Amino acid sequence: MNPSMLFRHEAILALLTGVALFGLAALSDKFFTPGNLLNQGRLMSEVGLVALPMTFVIVTGGIDLSVGSILGLTAILLGVFWQNVGLPLPIAMVAAVVCGTLAGFGNGFIITRFKVPPLIATLATLALYRGLAEGISEARSVRGYPEWFFFFGQGEVAGVPFQLWVLIICTVTASVILGLTPFGRATYAVGANETAARFSGIRVDATKLWIYSAAGFLSAIAAVIFVSRVTTTRSDMGTGIELDVITGVVLGGTSIFGGKGTVVGTVIGLVLIQALKNGLALSGVKGDGTIVVIGAVLIGAILAGALFDRNRGGS
Amino acid sequence: MNKVTLTFALAFGLMTGTAMAGSAWTGGDDQPTSPLACDATPATMAAKPYDGGSPTNPPDRAGKKITVVDIPKLIGIGYFNATSKGIADAATELGNVDAKTDGPTKANIDEQITFIDNYITSGVDGILFAANDPVAIAPVLKKALAAGINVVGYDANSTPDARQWFVNQAQFNGIAKGLVDNMAKEIGEDGSFAIVTSTFTTPNQARWIAEMAAYTAACHPKMKWLETVEAQEDNALSFNQATTLINKYGDELKGIFGMTSVATPAAAEAVTQSKKCGNIAIVGLATPNAMKPYVKADCVKSVVLWNPVDLGYAALQVLRSVSDGTLKPGATSVKAGKLGELQVVNGSEILLGAPYTFTKDNIDKFDF
Amino acid sequence: MKVASRAASGSRSGPQRFLSGYGQELIVTLAIVVLFVVVGTLNPRFLSDNNINSIIAGNAYIAVAAIGMSMIIIAGHIDVSVGSLIGVIATIAGTMAVSGFPIWMAWLVPIAISMVINAGVGTLVAYTKIPSIVVTLGMLSILKGGLISATGGSWITDMPPEFMIAQFRLFGIPSSVYFMVVLTIIAAIFMRLTDFGRAIYAVGGNIEAARAAGLNAERTVIGVFALHGLFAGIAGILFATQLQVIQSTVPPNLELTVITASVIGGVSILGGIGSVVGSTLAAILFATIGSALIFLNVSAYWLRAVLGLMILATVLADMLRRRRSS
Repeated sequence: MNPSMLFRHEAILALLTGVALFGLAALSDKFFTPGNLLNQGRLMSEVGLVALPMTFVIVTGGIDLSVGSILGLTAILLGVFWQNVGLPLPIAMVAAVVCGTLAGFGNGFIITRFKVPPLIATLATLALYRGLAEGISEARSVRGYPEWFFFFGQGEVAGVPFQLWVLIICTVTASVILGLTPFGRATYAVGANETAARFSGIRVDATKLWIYSAAGFLSAIAAVIFVSRVTTTRSDMGTGIELDVITGVVLGGTSIFGGKGTVVGTVIGLVLIQALKNGLALSGVKGDGTIVVIGAVLIGAILAGALFDRNRGGS
Repeated sequence: MNKVTLTFALAFGLMTGTAMAGSAWTGGDDQPTSPLACDATPATMAAKPYDGGSPTNPPDRAGKKITVVDIPKLIGIGYFNATSKGIADAATELGNVDAKTDGPTKANIDEQITFIDNYITSGVDGILFAANDPVAIAPVLKKALAAGINVVGYDANSTPDARQWFVNQAQFNGIAKGLVDNMAKEIGEDGSFAIVTSTFTTPNQARWIAEMAAYTAACHPKMKWLETVEAQEDNALSFNQATTLINKYGDELKGIFGMTSVATPAAAEAVTQSKKCGNIAIVGLATPNAMKPYVKADCVKSVVLWNPVDLGYAALQVLRSVSDGTLKPGATSVKAGKLGELQVVNGSEILLGAPYTFTKDNIDKFDF
Repeated sequence: MKVASRAASGSRSGPQRFLSGYGQELIVTLAIVVLFVVVGTLNPRFLSDNNINSIIAGNAYIAVAAIGMSMIIIAGHIDVSVGSLIGVIATIAGTMAVSGFPIWMAWLVPIAISMVINAGVGTLVAYTKIPSIVVTLGMLSILKGGLISATGGSWITDMPPEFMIAQFRLFGIPSSVYFMVVLTIIAAIFMRLTDFGRAIYAVGGNIEAARAAGLNAERTVIGVFALHGLFAGIAGILFATQLQVIQSTVPPNLELTVITASVIGGVSILGGIGSVVGSTLAAILFATIGSALIFLNVSAYWLRAVLGLMILATVLADMLRRRRSS
């Protein structure tokens, strides 16, 4: 892997993000304030946390469309464990996260054991997990959480929102794992050529199981933070988050075919999207206009990256 | 293949099994109900002390130009197009309000909260909202209040302390009584009916269904509820669901309740295309424009709604009064432009008035 | 990418080959028949003309869209923006009809627009090597936001009756059913028996081998996207004319429904395998399941869970079948 080629897409993206930040700051003086930037960090934490394992997933050449449903299911289970089953809230939180991780493991199991293509498997579990959330909750919300619980989604540590700290720590961890550990190298190998990876002794199935479980785990953590932020549970939470996450990961330079991508790229991609959503809104663009811009930026950025690769003779 | 089929069959059987142990009237919520009297006695509204929230150190906005943003549950359906129009009308009439409508394309709290958050940062003077979830929207609305922004809700409430006032189109039990009485008139005291709603988690609809169940049990106990189906806020889905109900129950189905302004015209279309006009009554909430063809064809006798244009209009008028300081906690009524004096009920709710019934005779007078 | 081998080894008998070749279509047909028998026994109204009509006619547009989607997936690509595209087509058609354009224009111009847009996507995908999922992810946003911006969220009503093609009936059956059946047959013949159809399979199976065999891969990709645009366009017209109102949004998750129909119908997401007949059957199966669940009184709260379970079961069954026959 040629380092300079690797950094090409991320560098373009960082440049684009920088330009965007400047432009948005020029359009509205409320954009580039510490208060706003920290707030945006808070708001993008849930998508960010899910995007970290999604990077791994897409690097292996797979995809996970069910992360939103896992988020909703975990949120419901949190409420059910606490209110209906009567567990103390901290235990309910842990139990719910365990269930979310199991849901992710379920995805990995279907993919590795039954060889179902990830797109199809997670398309099915998208419906199944969301359906479980709807069925278990029977459309009831759970509210009335104690004050201390709201710290996760609404609190701050040293002036920085709590979930942003969580995101930062997880980002660094994920970066290190993907870039510097044997597991990370195995991930790239599986994505680049699964058969060759298998023949060279890499435990492909175990790697995938870990990765999809991690997706479930982080979706569940995001769910807990989300419930804490909005103080209630609903079975439709997290609907559509998978598209935001995948857009961020792909924008960040991870190839959908697998074998290429970095956590840093994903984070920059997410920052760009969040900045656009926020900055455009602040400068008076309405919701529909923002959606169009983000779609155009996605295509444009990938196009730019692809053209650069071509110029350098890459394939 | 065998193991898979077996598991599948087992799971399927389990689901169907638990299905039978359903509760009364799917789609209602679990909060206490207060059905009105069966006759025409008007509801008694106990006076409550003011329970709304208040902004922290709001700037003096009396008489000055203010920027207001309206964030409904979602954009792209006729109902909120109408409220938006009402808000725009009020803005033109008042002359010193800069109002715009913006919102998510799906009725989802996640996005609605982000929209509100962005507008807080951009420094608007006032926020109007129709909440996708009363509790979930509270934290961000409280943040708005803390930033000195005036917050007024309409159509779908939040928890009272998260906004200053809520313009209520009609009381939940009043709407329930109106709908059920209309249905009983059309299908008789022992008719069977089904309900097409948006989702079971939509708060307003869930409240209405719960109140309808309580009112029917008290005043029309022989009427039979058959089923409630979900149709999101989608026209095609509502149509398909309504058609399935018509096919499933055949002659047993005498009436369909449409709980959203999308479901009611779709149900009417389903009845029309199944050639059951006159056999199946459609009673529901809808905007007049969507229902004109069916009302004129005598397929639908009456459409119940408040006037959403008036609702939006009143909401902005209330926000203006609050910004000017002329509407204070503890008031018992408020002047809302051309609508006259509106009553304050339930502490911090402002009642728009009685629901309006559109019929063949008057439906042409309206264009929304 | 594996090379698809539809022609099995010579050591298998005719019926066995037929089964392995069309196994998934048979499973789906079997599932439909079983559902009709089971639910029909429990509630005979399930088998009434009206019900069968509404199941098939109301969802025919999904089957038509799935034809195009199957072609795309067979070619090794995907389109996640088809839901928003159908919404855009429907809105353009409705607006033209209401504005007084000749009806034939209101039908054909949107289809042409859909083909042009998709040919554009195809060109991008073919020449820049950007994965189709990425391009169509971006298109999804652009189309969805664009639609709301253009319509301001308002609905289209009062369309002229001559425009409502999906509601025309022949021998009591709505025209959307005829469209679905005829288009499926034409597409199936096209895919199997024409050079271009076989080129689509080749490009999806192994693009390098296809190029080596002399096929112009880029033209094939652009062509299959244009074809997809054709079918999506027709689906959009059917969708627009089914009901008296055109919303500025489409049923939630419409693209996922179309993709699932293709995949359940036997199209392999890896490319190179599948048939359009399967996707039409799968679309019918979905519609049948949706109606059956209501007829069977499955608790409304558990509807989606059961649906997800069924999709999963069908997919697992398909995987096991493939493993056994390979």
